[in-house]
This record gives sequence, structure tokens and C-alpha cells, in this order.
Amino acid sequence: MKHFRKMIWPYIIWAGVIVVLPLLMIILYSVTKGGNELLNIQFTFDNFKRMTEPIYVDVFVKSFKLGIISVIICLLVGYTLAYLITSFSEKVQSVLILVVTIPMWINTLLRTYAWISLLSDNGLINTVLVKLGFEPINMMYTDFAVVLGLVSDLLPFMVIPIYTSLSKMDHSLIEAAHDLGANKFKTFWRVTFKLSIPGVLNGVIMTFLLSISTFVIPKLLGGGQYTLIGNLIENQFISIGDWNFGSAISVILAFIILMSITFMKKIDKDEIEEE
Amino acid sequence: MKKTSIMKKITGAVMVMTLSMSLLTGCGSKSDKTLKVYNAGEYIDTDLIHDFEKEFDCKVVYETFDSNESMYTKVQSGEKYDVIIPSDYMIERLIREDKLQKIDWSLIPNADGLDENVLGLACDPDNEYSVPYFYGNVGILYDKTVVDEADLKDGWEILRNEKYKGMLYMYDSERDSFMIALKALGYSMNTTDKKEIDEAYEWLANQRDTMEPVYAGDDVIDNMISGNKAMAIVYSGDATYIMSENENLAFFAPEEGTNIWNDAMIITKDCTDTKLAHEFINFMLEPDNAYANTAEVGYTSPIIEAREKAAADDYADIDAYIPDMTRANDEVFRYQDSETKAYFAELWTKIKAAN
Repeated sequence: MKHFRKMIWPYIIWAGVIVVLPLLMIILYSVTKGGNELLNIQFTFDNFKRMTEPIYVDVFVKSFKLGIISVIICLLVGYTLAYLITSFSEKVQSVLILVVTIPMWINTLLRTYAWISLLSDNGLINTVLVKLGFEPINMMYTDFAVVLGLVSDLLPFMVIPIYTSLSKMDHSLIEAAHDLGANKFKTFWRVTFKLSIPGVLNGVIMTFLLSISTFVIPKLLGGGQYTLIGNLIENQFISIGDWNFGSAISVILAFIILMSITFMKKIDKDEIEEE
Repeated sequence: MKKTSIMKKITGAVMVMTLSMSLLTGCGSKSDKTLKVYNAGEYIDTDLIHDFEKEFDCKVVYETFDSNESMYTKVQSGEKYDVIIPSDYMIERLIREDKLQKIDWSLIPNADGLDENVLGLACDPDNEYSVPYFYGNVGILYDKTVVDEADLKDGWEILRNEKYKGMLYMYDSERDSFMIALKALGYSMNTTDKKEIDEAYEWLANQRDTMEPVYAGDDVIDNMISGNKAMAIVYSGDATYIMSENENLAFFAPEEGTNIWNDAMIITKDCTDTKLAHEFINFMLEPDNAYANTAEVGYTSPIIEAREKAAADDYADIDAYIPDMTRANDEVFRYQDSETKAYFAELWTKIKAAN
């Protein structure tokens, strides 16, 4: 086996170039000032100090709130969906999973534009409402539009891991629970849900990561005034050109995400140990 | 950058796909001359690119950007282009950073047709480096059925008239938004005085809190065509296009002064085949081509013949098509030093982040 170990080197070099190096660059940018060219850099913590201004703290709080709301909705809808899918025969299941993943074949931008044409003030939904004699509803550029866009975009990432854990589950455990006198709810809670927790946690982590760093969906459905962390970073890099501050925000975001994942992995571990 | 609609985006995407397909199948231009052109999105009649390729037996690699700033970021990160079409203040920045080659005007005979009012603007006074492509100004596009014409006499202050709360699109652009606030307060849009800039910040913050505007990008075009809100800040070229689709709209540029801009073709230092680059610039200024271009995108051509034809034909009755370039209070954006730029950027981030 030992001589195979050498074959790992190309991978390590590759990972170093495309993963570690950019990360180090971001960290370097975040603790320096002096422009984007790295020729006349000076070390400073001003970029991080700027983040403590109430306006930027608010952006973080808002992003987290929105991320958590999206994850909760995704979890409720996604779990139900995955649970229903497992109740079909295996052939139907694979078709249904295909249906869940089909939207992912289409570019996010295109899907988001589709939401715009549905939700806008003179869009499809409002046109139908007016035809039926109702008042039109203002949906674009609201929290509702952004959460809707996020949930519809992220749902597959929740459904698939949960479905995977549920479908691997041994059905005789449920029968055993029934035989031992547990009612339907108790069986679900103590057996089915408990066994699907790894899938749930994976789904939660993935959707949370994606929702907290998104910038396209809030920009298109929330308008330019809808600033989340992702938009803040995008602005610093693309339009303002302050890569130092942008990197500092990225580093803080990465740190917070790392903490959240560690926290959630810990729940996973505790659950298993409890068994 | 200045013009899009969903349908156009989709057709654009399809066209890019078919274009790249035809390139892949190698339909056989024998020459290996290539020209890399970088332009704002939806800012050209794409047929012209094919015509140019055929006429000069070359390949044009055409890419688009969504703002001058993202163009600059990409060029700075090492991407190389031959011809770029940015706006005036960005051209001034590129000139100062010594990134451009001088234009050899003797290779551009079609420049004779250019309107003199569009030449010699402050960013490049002798047009040593830039050849006008489109020009225009910035103003308020409003719905005549909703906005009371009497309120227009307030100029830019109409954007803080609470009668129109929640019915307003601002443009999601730092310089354009501060331009409005500074002009409303009677200052120059190119000020470096922090006291004036702070006042403009207060103006915009106050407007954000009392009016709840949407800071929109190019989606404003579709939204105004559908008549979603009563007012929008738009470029004159977009106004022309939107008004040709929705006749309830009118356009006005307040008396206090507005930004007049000029997007121009430049040749970068990276360009090796400068002869072909000049041919391209000359080709775009050829009156029939310039007409096809302006008729397609709605922006104003600096070629007088093309402009008159479009004004008489495609855009008759749309006054936004020919902006007045001679008003005393109007200004061209100038280059900002990095300190001023950073100051504006920080304030603009705050305007958008607070909610």
C-alpha cells in the first residue's frame, strides 16, 4: 500500500494551488491596506475594526435571520417532501427524485428571472388577481420575494440528503416500534426522525451555507437596497474595488460558518452517543 | 450595462451559444486575425460584429461587462482586450494609468461625420485616446398619468416629494446617485469637499428613509415598460427605448444640471493589431452601421447622419433621443483620486446597507 502514498502528491499540489493559496491571499488582503496590487502593503486591523460599525453588524444580523428563516422553511417543506417520496415504490421514487433535481439543471439566474416575471407588480400573479377582481399585491423587493427565491433554489439540497437517510432506513424498525405499542407520532419521532438526523443536519448545513453567502437572489428579488453579507462582499470586490475590506468580511463570514458547522456536528455526535 | 430586457437577455444567450457553436465547428475563416472587444451588455447590434468579421476576414471575440467598475476590475486582474468601450470618467482613469494607445485619426475617415459637441469633453480634451460611441445624459423618466407636471418644477427635489413615496426607482450606482444629491444641493458632481459630500449623503439617507425607493439595476427597463412605478432615474438612451415601448412616459433632465456622459472606443496597450482595431472603430462610425446600431439599442449616435435618420424614423416624437449637450449646469464625470473615491464608496455602502 505504501507506494500508493506517492500518488497523493499531485492532489496535494492541486489543492494547494486552487484552495489553500486563494484562502491565504484573502487572509493576507484582510489584514493589510494599500490597494489591490499587493506592491505597497501595510499591515493593519482597520478592515476588521470597520466591521464593528453598527451598519455592518446589522447586515450580518439580517443575513443570519434570513438564512435561518430560509433553512427552517426548507426543512419543513423538504422533510415532508422526502418523507412522502419514500412512501412510494422504488421505481416511482427515482422518478420523483429526478423531478426534485430537474430545477437544478437550469441556471439560478434564469430561475430567478422567472420569479421576477411571476411576482412583479404587473406580473403573472397580479394580472390574474386583478382579472379575478382582487387588489394587486406588492411582492417584489420584499423579504417574502427573497425568502421565496432562496427556498425554491435551495430545496433540492435539503430534500436529497434527507431522502438518502430515510431510504436507507430499515423498515422493520418501524414495525418493531408498532409491535411494542408506540403510536404513529411516537414511532415517527423516536424512530424515523431520529434515524434521519444525519441527513437533516447535512441538509441544514448545506442550505445554511448557501443561503448566508448568496448575493444574486437578494439582488434581483430584493433590489439594490437589499444588502446581505454576500452583496456587501460583491460590492467591495466588483464595484468599489476595496479588496481589503471585502476580504475582511469574507474572513469573518468564513469564521462564523466554521463555528456553526462545528456546533452542528457536535449535535450530531451527541445524538449518536446518546444511543 | 445600460440596456437590457429579459427577452433580449435570452435571445442574447441563444445568440452567444450559436455563435460559439459556429466557432467550434470551425466554419472556416482562414485568417487567424482576432480582435478582442469588451463592451457593456446589450450595447451593440450584434449583426455588425458578423458583418465586420466577413468584411475584414477576422474573428471578433466579443465580451460584455455590466459596469465600468467591473470592467476595470477584470482588466486589472490581467485579462487582455484590444478595444474597450467604457465611459468618460473610466477612460480618464485608464489614460492616467497609462493603459491606452493613442488613436491614429487618419485611419478613421468616418470620424468626419461626428458631432463636434461630443468631441473634446473634459475627460480627454483633444480626443487623443477615445472615439465617441454613444452619448447621452441622465434624467427622470416619469409616468404622465401619475406624476403631476407642476411638481416637475422642483427639479431633482421631486425625488423627495412624499406624494410619490414608494413609487420610485433610483439607479443602483454610486456616482449617479451622488450626482443627483449634489446637483439638488447646488454643488458640482465632481466635488472633493467632504462637507458637501456629507450633505449629499444626508440628502440620500433622508430620501431613502422618507421615500423608500428601490435601487434598481437594468431591471428598471422592464419595470418601467410595464408601468410598475411612477418615476425612475435612467440614462437618456434607456429612456428612449422605454418610451418607444410605453407611450405614457416622458423624460426630463432637471434644470439644476445633470450628468452628460460619453461612452467611447479606446485601444489598449495590450493591442498588437492596431490596424484592425482602427478598422473596427472606423467600421462602427460608418453612417449605415452607426444607424443600425443606434436603432437597435436606443442610445444616441454621435454620427450626425445616423442620429438624424433615427430621430426622424425610429424615435420620432421621443425627445429623450437627442439630449442637449450644451446646457450650462450639466457636467461630465471626472476622475476621482483614490481618497475621494473611497470616501464616496463608504458612504454609498452605508446608504444601501442600512435598512
